Amino acid sequence: MSTLLETRRVTKVFGGLTAVNKVDLVVPKGKIASIIGPNGAGKTTLFNCISGFYKPEEGQVIFDGNVINGKLTDRIAALGISRTYQNIRLFKNMSAVENIMVGFEPRMHQGWLSVMLRTPAKRKEEKHVIAEATKLLKYVGLEGLGDNLATNLPYGAQRRLEIARALGNNPKLLLLDEPTAGMNPQETDIMKTFIRSVRDDLGVTIILIEHDMRVVMDISDQISVLDYGQKIAEGTPKEIQANPRVIEAYLGLGASALSEKYRREKQL
Amino acid sequence: MKSSLIQKAAKSGVVFAVIVIFLALIGFTVTAASLIQKVFGEAVGVSAMPAYPALVVFLGFIGLWNGWRAAKHTGDHPLRAGSAIVAGLVAGFVAGLFVLVYTLIVGTIHSNGVDMRVYLSSLSPESIVYFLFGQSTLTGGLIHLGLSIVSAAAGALLAIFSDRSQHQFALWKQKLSLWVNTSWPAKLRKNVFVGYIAMGVVLFLLVILPRTWGSYWNYIMGTVGIYVLLGIGLNIIVGYSGQLVLGYVAFFAIGAYSFALVTAPDPHHLNWNFWVALLVAIVASAISGVLIGLPILRLRGDYLAIVTLGFGEIIRILIKSDWLKDITLGPRGVRNIAGPTLLGKSFSSDIDFMYLIILAVLLSIFLARRWQESRIGRAWLSISQDETVAQATGVDTYKYKILALAIGAAFAGLGGALFASRNQFTGPEDHVLMVSINVLSLVIVGGMGSIPGVILGAFTLKGLPEILRELESYRLLVFGALLVLMMIIRPEGLWPAKRPKYGEKSPPLDAEKGGPE
Repeated sequence: MSTLLETRRVTKVFGGLTAVNKVDLVVPKGKIASIIGPNGAGKTTLFNCISGFYKPEEGQVIFDGNVINGKLTDRIAALGISRTYQNIRLFKNMSAVENIMVGFEPRMHQGWLSVMLRTPAKRKEEKHVIAEATKLLKYVGLEGLGDNLATNLPYGAQRRLEIARALGNNPKLLLLDEPTAGMNPQETDIMKTFIRSVRDDLGVTIILIEHDMRVVMDISDQISVLDYGQKIAEGTPKEIQANPRVIEAYLGLGASALSEKYRREKQL
Repeated sequence: MKSSLIQKAAKSGVVFAVIVIFLALIGFTVTAASLIQKVFGEAVGVSAMPAYPALVVFLGFIGLWNGWRAAKHTGDHPLRAGSAIVAGLVAGFVAGLFVLVYTLIVGTIHSNGVDMRVYLSSLSPESIVYFLFGQSTLTGGLIHLGLSIVSAAAGALLAIFSDRSQHQFALWKQKLSLWVNTSWPAKLRKNVFVGYIAMGVVLFLLVILPRTWGSYWNYIMGTVGIYVLLGIGLNIIVGYSGQLVLGYVAFFAIGAYSFALVTAPDPHHLNWNFWVALLVAIVASAISGVLIGLPILRLRGDYLAIVTLGFGEIIRILIKSDWLKDITLGPRGVRNIAGPTLLGKSFSSDIDFMYLIILAVLLSIFLARRWQESRIGRAWLSISQDETVAQATGVDTYKYKILALAIGAAFAGLGGALFASRNQFTGPEDHVLMVSINVLSLVIVGGMGSIPGVILGAFTLKGLPEILRELESYRLLVFGALLVLMMIIRPEGLWPAKRPKYGEKSPPLDAEKGGPE
């Protein structure tokens, strides 16, 4: 089992605040790895360090054998890392299928001159991209909605469209930032199944930031817990559930004793 | 409750009184009355005043508006007849009262023999007498008061009537749109041949019009055409890639000057061929676009606007400067710029030039559409909507921003070269900031990112002022008011951009259902 992404002692400082503090993370190929932690723990900052939005002050991000920290985000995307955003960030005034087509950008080659002359190669590429984008649209369950402006789509559809755009890049690694935020339990269930199927169908490795513990515990192969920028625990869902430090991080000091008490009462 | 209603109406009346008094002070009342009389077929002689009914019509219209507005703002849904009429009457009375005071003041000063033109150049004795309907000061003022009340009451009645019939109007509108979408107009729109015929008619008009409408209109429409070229270029930069560039005139100037300097006998004795020079101008502008693009790549929004604003001014000042006088001839400008030639024949008559501009515009539309409806256009749009995300999605934003600047600048260069060639002259004063502002406004008025919008915008901004020439010195006042009105009524532009369809059958989204889940 080979490693796809590795962060080594990644540190990001904002002013006096260390948002991410020497985090080591190893994500094997083909797995779903989750990052959890209370609000402000540095989860999204870590994502931003991986996808190139931030340059970490210290440490390395190694993707597929290459050091990628410090590279421009479009270069990183071209290497095969795609992401979605906590607050949906689609290209609002473009149609849904166009949003996905922008995702194909790193894999397109026709320049301004061949576009101007409308060469056969350009037409072929355009046709191919339209077909592939329509396929992706169908894959995320938005068939028939392709010509609607992204901003006119309902919330759940926008979430899925964002994933479709990220998949347009044919990524090796997909970073999902709270994909079920703002969804009701039914929608969350659908999203959960969908995320798993993305991994199974397309062989994409996924790193997931999520607050909904049912989702995290159900689909993760590995969970890392961040608190105050530091990784405080790592392991399988079972291990994490039993870890007293995690419970304390979430519920405050002394909470682990409390939960221990409740568990015992339950057993009695 | 009642008092607030009267207060509101009185406020509205004050606003309209200010409008009337202001228009009277700048002499616009006389101009408007002359125009109205002209519409009814009797032109006003030179230095003569129009007939009084024309003034009554003009002021009556303002009064009507006053009453209408006061009635509509009573805040009842549906309008209550009683309070609406009261509001109209109050607004009319207040407005009339202020105008009465104004006439008393101006009339008294006038009858004391003081010439007001010393202070306000438009307030001639004749115009004061005209504003008093030729009566004594008090009578004239009372006529204004009466007119204001009557017209405002009529306006209020009109408002009540329109409110009562609103439901009926809505029904008619629904029926009409149903008919347009289902009956033969819909079939007509979908028919391909109709499209071809329409295109043919447009082409026929483009061929025939320059020959028929005379050199004056050729000149005006030529200017409009050049602004369409500039608009198409800036539309790529601002409308598509979303980079707010305020110094667009710099590319126009570089195009015009590089064309001028290689074709004019003075100062470089180059006398190059028109077509070669045109190419030189386009390439030079495109290169300047790339060069200005490199240092400003990381700037966004306001900063970019300010930097490019400075760039535009720098180019103009450089052209004008003593330092480059040997190259550009400084403030004198370049004369005797070559006109178009083909196979040894000259084509610089105004008709030929109009054709040349039309050809350039058609070619530009063709090319711009190719770029905009491809991966390049999509990348530009994505940058304009969220640059950070576009880059993280894999769009090489630096490359595309430079490409947008280069292509946009090339269109400006073409426009500048044609402009210089047509006038056979270009000087630094052709390339002032106002050109950038005009082009930017035409893109915004027309509708960002839309090519038909650019054409419409160019006609409105460059053509309309010519049509408004009747209004003489009030041209720009009315023009400005029209622009403000237009942006209030249609903020998305005259002809907003639409995204292309990719042949997917997409049912319109039902907002209530929220789409399929």
